[in-house]
Amino acid sequence: MKYLFLVPIFIPFLTSIFLFINKKLFKNQITNFFTLNGSLLSFLVSGFVFFDLATNKFKDYSIKLFQWTNTPNISIGFTVDGLSATMLLLVTGLSLVIQVFSTSYMKDDEKYTSYFTYFNFFVFSMLLLVMSSNFLVMFMGWELVGLSSYLLISFWSNKESASKAGNKAFIINRIGDFGFLIGLMIVLNTFETFDFKTVMSLSSTISESTVTIICLFLLLGAFGKSAQFPLFSWLPDAMEGPTPASALIHAATMVTAGVFMLVRVSPLLQYSQTAKLLIAIFGLLTALIAAFSAINQYDIKKVLAYSTISQLGFMFIAIGSGAYVAAIFHLVTHAFFKALLFLGAGAVIHAMHHEQDIRKMGMLRKNMPVTALTMGIGTLAISGLPPLAGFWSKDEILASVFVNGGVYYVIWSLGLFAALLTAFYMGRHWLLIFAVDQGNNHDDVEEVSKSMTIPLLLLGLFSIFIGFINTPFFHGLEKVLHYTLENVYVTHLPKGVTLVVLAFVSIGAGFTGLTLAYLVFSFKVLDRINLDSKLFNTVIALVKDLSTNVLYLNKYGNLIFVKGSRVLSRNIAAVIDGIVIDGAVNSVAAIFNKTSKAASTTQTGQVRSYIAYFGLFLVLLIALFIVTPLVNV
Amino acid sequence: MLEVTTDWYLTLAAILFSIGFFGMMYRRNALIMFMCIELMLNAVNLTFIAASRHFGTIDGQVSVFFVLVVAAAEVVVGLAIIVSIFRKQISASVDVLNLSKG
Amino acid sequence: MDVVLFIFPAGLIILGALIVVFAKNPVHNAMGLVMTLVSLAIIYITLNATFVAMVQMLVYAGAVMTLFLFVIMMIGVDKKEQDAESIKGQTFLISGSFLILISLLTYVAISSNFKWDLWFPAVDFAIEGTPQIIAGTLFTSWIFPFEIISLLLIVATAAAIALAYDIKKRKDNA
Repeated sequence: MKYLFLVPIFIPFLTSIFLFINKKLFKNQITNFFTLNGSLLSFLVSGFVFFDLATNKFKDYSIKLFQWTNTPNISIGFTVDGLSATMLLLVTGLSLVIQVFSTSYMKDDEKYTSYFTYFNFFVFSMLLLVMSSNFLVMFMGWELVGLSSYLLISFWSNKESASKAGNKAFIINRIGDFGFLIGLMIVLNTFETFDFKTVMSLSSTISESTVTIICLFLLLGAFGKSAQFPLFSWLPDAMEGPTPASALIHAATMVTAGVFMLVRVSPLLQYSQTAKLLIAIFGLLTALIAAFSAINQYDIKKVLAYSTISQLGFMFIAIGSGAYVAAIFHLVTHAFFKALLFLGAGAVIHAMHHEQDIRKMGMLRKNMPVTALTMGIGTLAISGLPPLAGFWSKDEILASVFVNGGVYYVIWSLGLFAALLTAFYMGRHWLLIFAVDQGNNHDDVEEVSKSMTIPLLLLGLFSIFIGFINTPFFHGLEKVLHYTLENVYVTHLPKGVTLVVLAFVSIGAGFTGLTLAYLVFSFKVLDRINLDSKLFNTVIALVKDLSTNVLYLNKYGNLIFVKGSRVLSRNIAAVIDGIVIDGAVNSVAAIFNKTSKAASTTQTGQVRSYIAYFGLFLVLLIALFIVTPLVNV
Repeated sequence: MLEVTTDWYLTLAAILFSIGFFGMMYRRNALIMFMCIELMLNAVNLTFIAASRHFGTIDGQVSVFFVLVVAAAEVVVGLAIIVSIFRKQISASVDVLNLSKG
Repeated sequence: MDVVLFIFPAGLIILGALIVVFAKNPVHNAMGLVMTLVSLAIIYITLNATFVAMVQMLVYAGAVMTLFLFVIMMIGVDKKEQDAESIKGQTFLISGSFLILISLLTYVAISSNFKWDLWFPAVDFAIEGTPQIIAGTLFTSWIFPFEIISLLLIVATAAAIALAYDIKKRKDNA
């Protein structure tokens, strides 16, 4: 019974290997059979594990498969507690829904089976990461998730932009992994073990500076994986991959691995105020930059990508303020409505015959009513309007930030502004696709097939009701995570009037954003007011330009890092390699040459010179014998 | 009164040996180099005989016997070699034999 | 008396050695060597090694020197040898090692006050180097080297013949 949770982990693995071996043989039907049944089985078993754990009040247990060394304690093990069971359920459930969607979306693709191979491999590695009981297994999952992401981003590898995007994702991820690895090394050095429970229980005994250093390095890894500033530019480019893959990986699961990891090490994190403040600040920065960049993007998926980065920023703000439950809650709700939005975008792209520019869409709600309805639900959810899911989680985050006080007031107010921007650009997104008439002809666009709309409806339903698992009236998620966070100081929500006021303020922010979007894009208020002020026009133009080009961050980053390292390496090749190293090696050879030439002058071939050397050394030998005390003189 | 002890003989042998060795280094004629080798061998013989007298055993003189025989055989072979090398040449200098130079 | 009997042949020996090294005419060299060998035989007699002295006179001063003189006749006198030293650095090496040797010997001689410690004292009795005694040791404990050097002599003879043999002359004669 204890080992049952290994089933959902290894079924995707076996499926992926099986599909990989039979890549060329299988037709679509057979692949569908194996992969859908496999993921259904995984989901049911993980549901069973969750309920079994629930009956035990979510008390955690772990198993150890293989012990490598005793000191330091390195082993392969898995743990099942509230946090990992939640993630297990989330990942298997979402993978099932998205796979159903993909069977229809990828139907005409010739690499159909490969897609499902990589998909299942991703699910396996994500579960490895989530169910791990020590840093080593987590790191293995971490790396494999990066690999699967690379495989899926560069899926259509004949497109040069796709391969480049895959490379960029992997390399930026690697930079993060470098930090993560150093953090792991320091952990092993300090604690002599990788096991989570041991590390967390010993975390109060070591000095704060060590904790800060460990947390900073682990943070670098989280930044890379979860696309925070400054390592975020890979996520918009990752939209080159197939949309369902983006829905699973870059919306719901892989990018949340950083958040998950930070909550896992929260017993360690709570002892370092510096790290927490840094997390909050970087999360805020990311949220603002991404939200600002999203307001003028023209690709349907890039808007959603920047939205993901921004929401991840929110989760990091939550962690930085000590509200770990709020972070996990937002992770869960965001997974649902972001996957919904991505699948909806995929449906639109499929119906528009792979057109992705939203300036070519408009008034599509007449052609695709179900998609319009579900994406509308997703937009309302992400804007934070009650009683949809996004309101509860976002409000909980903002309230917890407010409670901390001090500099966190600034973070709270700027976070509120980011929430406003979120509502604004998501409203713009929905309106420009489905409501506003942009003068394009859409006679050939019709609603997508049932296997695409049913997952959309399912996710829409969840987006409405999933918020109720952790309201201020029913702390469901807190109970689930009780044993995981039992030694951690979790920031609690404010009580009474403060809470109500804060709730109304965030509702107001969301509402204002949506209204502004309606006014600007549907009501076209800017054209109607007809302000001739040159200042106003230049400001608007500047805002639009900066937003589209992501504040020119990518351009300067490319200039400094890519071109800079090229110049540097060229210099190194010419100067250091050519002159210094070659010079050193050549001079070593020259030394040998000269020495041997000098030594060969003793080989004269004359008997008499040999006799002379012989005599000289004989005399020296005699001298040696006389000088040493062996001979009594 | 001065007594002729063993060290006198040993000194004499040493001087003879070094003169022979020095001559070998100095002279270029092959024959003369050979004669210097003979000098060195004779110095060794003298050392053996003196040692035999010093320790009271006969083994030193028997060794001299052997050294004598070996020296004679060596002279035979060496002179045969010298004759065969220098038969056609004008000078008997060993400096012309430098094929192993390098 | 003993001292004179030592000094006189010793002087002759050294004189002969110097003649061997420094003479210009090869025949003079050979004569110097003969003088050295004969004086050595005298010294052997004073050391009670009579048999060895006789053998030395017969073999060395007789046979070996005759052989030398024959070869000197065949090869000839070499006037060319008066050239300067042809090998580079040879003079340095020779003079250097010679100087080191001389300084060593003087150091040794002076620091021990001309009295060398030979580890074992000399014995009182004098051994007789008669043929009987030598034969007694030679054929009992030294039998193995004895057989070996007989082999050696055969090899030397064969080598000498092989080296000096001229195939062409033999064919022409036959």
